Amino acid sequence: MRKYLKDLTELPGISSREEKVREYIKSQVEGKVNNITIDNLGNLICFVKGKDSSKKMMVDAHMDEVGFMVTKINDDGTLGISPVGGVDPRVIKSQRLKIEGVLNAVVNSTPIHLDKDIKRVIKYEEIKVYAGFSSKEEASKKVNLGDMVTFDTTYVEEGNYALSKAFDDRVGCSIMLDIIDYIYENKLQPAFDTYFNFATQEEVGLRGTGVAAARIKPDFALVLEGTTAGDNPENPPEKWATHIGNGPVITFMHSGLVIKKEMFETIVNAAKALNIKFQYKMRTAGGTNAAKLAKTMYGIPAGVISVPCRYIHSPLAILNIDDYNNTYSLVKELVTNNERWVNYERAH
Amino acid sequence: MKELIKNITELYGPSGREHEVREFIKKEIEDYVDEIKIDKLGNLIAIKKGHSGKTILFDAHMDEIGVVVTHIIDGGFLKIEQVGGQFPLNLVGARLNFKGRIGVVGIEGETDKELRENYKNVSLDNIYVDIGVSSKEEAEKYAPIGTFGVFADGFVDYGEYCLSKALDDRIGCASLIETIKQMKDNKHTVIFAFTVQEEVGLVGAFVSAYDYNVDRAIAIDVTDSLDTPKALKRMSMKLGYGPCIKIKDLASVSDREVVDWIKDTAVNNNIKYQLEVLTLGGTNAAGYQRTKSGIPSCTISIPTRYIHSPHEMICYSDVVDTVELILALSEADF
Repeated sequence: MRKYLKDLTELPGISSREEKVREYIKSQVEGKVNNITIDNLGNLICFVKGKDSSKKMMVDAHMDEVGFMVTKINDDGTLGISPVGGVDPRVIKSQRLKIEGVLNAVVNSTPIHLDKDIKRVIKYEEIKVYAGFSSKEEASKKVNLGDMVTFDTTYVEEGNYALSKAFDDRVGCSIMLDIIDYIYENKLQPAFDTYFNFATQEEVGLRGTGVAAARIKPDFALVLEGTTAGDNPENPPEKWATHIGNGPVITFMHSGLVIKKEMFETIVNAAKALNIKFQYKMRTAGGTNAAKLAKTMYGIPAGVISVPCRYIHSPLAILNIDDYNNTYSLVKELVTNNERWVNYERAH
Repeated sequence: MKELIKNITELYGPSGREHEVREFIKKEIEDYVDEIKIDKLGNLIAIKKGHSGKTILFDAHMDEIGVVVTHIIDGGFLKIEQVGGQFPLNLVGARLNFKGRIGVVGIEGETDKELRENYKNVSLDNIYVDIGVSSKEEAEKYAPIGTFGVFADGFVDYGEYCLSKALDDRIGCASLIETIKQMKDNKHTVIFAFTVQEEVGLVGAFVSAYDYNVDRAIAIDVTDSLDTPKALKRMSMKLGYGPCIKIKDLASVSDREVVDWIKDTAVNNNIKYQLEVLTLGGTNAAGYQRTKSGIPSCTISIPTRYIHSPHEMICYSDVVDTVELILALSEADF
């Protein structure tokens, strides 16, 4: 288990440019699933036949990460960038970046003797990315407008913690891959016909998953996420959204959706039955693909289970490995145990 | 009908927790409709069959705005977040109902200066809820994290005007229930969609019409009444001047043909109406516009004062006129 997490988080893949992540996942699942489909928006849908084919379950995690695009090549050879998805400009000052996953680059920062106003937040318009070019002409040979820019972070595991970029939502992708492996290696079947959807373009507005769902037509769905912790040491507990080390996060409500009560309770009951530590998401800001699924076609009830990650949407996020393992156990239970879903009828 | 308005507005039903409201409506209408179903998101959909070959849909959302418990702090006080669009100032002094347990809101502030500042800038971060317990453990019994709360205030009948919580949009639900009871031998097939989770993002309305071929969809909802002292002066909706036919709000522009059809029907049937351009807000009409290949949609609004507060006020005659208009539309050719 967890053998894909390092590779997955280190791969570059902003919204709409998930191809490297998709290729990697595809190469890992080939031969292990019954069918692989890549749709027009780039969603990778892996079908695994279930014990009970009267219902369809969709399990969803998004492949894209927050990052940037090159939007300007300056006369001096530096580059201007714009965020793709929500990235607070305060987290990128002085950071290492990769352009198209290949070129090394660094974000400018004004020296302290020239900018005494340390409270001022740098704006994207002022950010210049240096990638070793001294003229526009030189830069234009290697860089194009629209090129993908990602954080340059190496995965580290230390004790019970892992540190990397893009846990949102490669951690969800990683758990789906682990579950596919578990089912394959133990020659098992999931509870129902199951569609593992590795979704595109979540960070720019939940765009991929609705299209995938229209193809799958699931009866219900589970959305797996890496979610914000906000449990920084300086914050009092009532400011936390989640807390790393407190187990998988179960969401009752987030931006744009209240999770269907029965779905929420199904997940809580599974966690209680497994006797694992779990927690609720204690802030409601931010949304997930579940909001899109609820508004798709006939309305797909979706639950949300997340691994809490501290410093998400930044170059360096931290997760707790016990949280990862417990989230995996909880999702595995829900994907493989028909008993959990006895009260669920076909959605359509 | 006032009894109905009292009963339905006093029910507990924040977004995603519309269970009581759904049961109530189902009992009220099931003997009067040809078909009734509950979809997977919890929308209650009832049909009265017609004979024109055309289908119109009327929508009212069952949910009301509320709050949800996100933390229980030492001493058993609750921290909350909003469910739907809350003005935090409205929470101060209000009674909240957490599924039976009443709470009141207090403001934090460790110095006079901080307290004054917090009173000026009330936010969910500087208030807490007191549910009359003395410990965290006790609070967890009554209102564990994830418990939804709504305003606890009840119905007041002034005669001409009525006051209650959750008139947004139980007054729409009540209008549709009354319509269903009065409707006989309707020309068009009429679908009544009592929808979920409007207040958090028009969720139910995006999917409630998916199974049907609907020719026209009309949301019945509330709109701001601007007949109070120093109200927003760019809009002109008033209590007592009849249902408002929406031209636009921030979420949708009504279909012109549907607007004209409603207007003509009101004129032909001698029903008072107002035209509405709302410079804020949105209704479920936006959801129907984007269902399948798009349903021509509009909203009929009941003017309401103090929307999203514990005390919303309507004029009863506007509700009666709305029911009449809906009944007339189910007979009106298009």
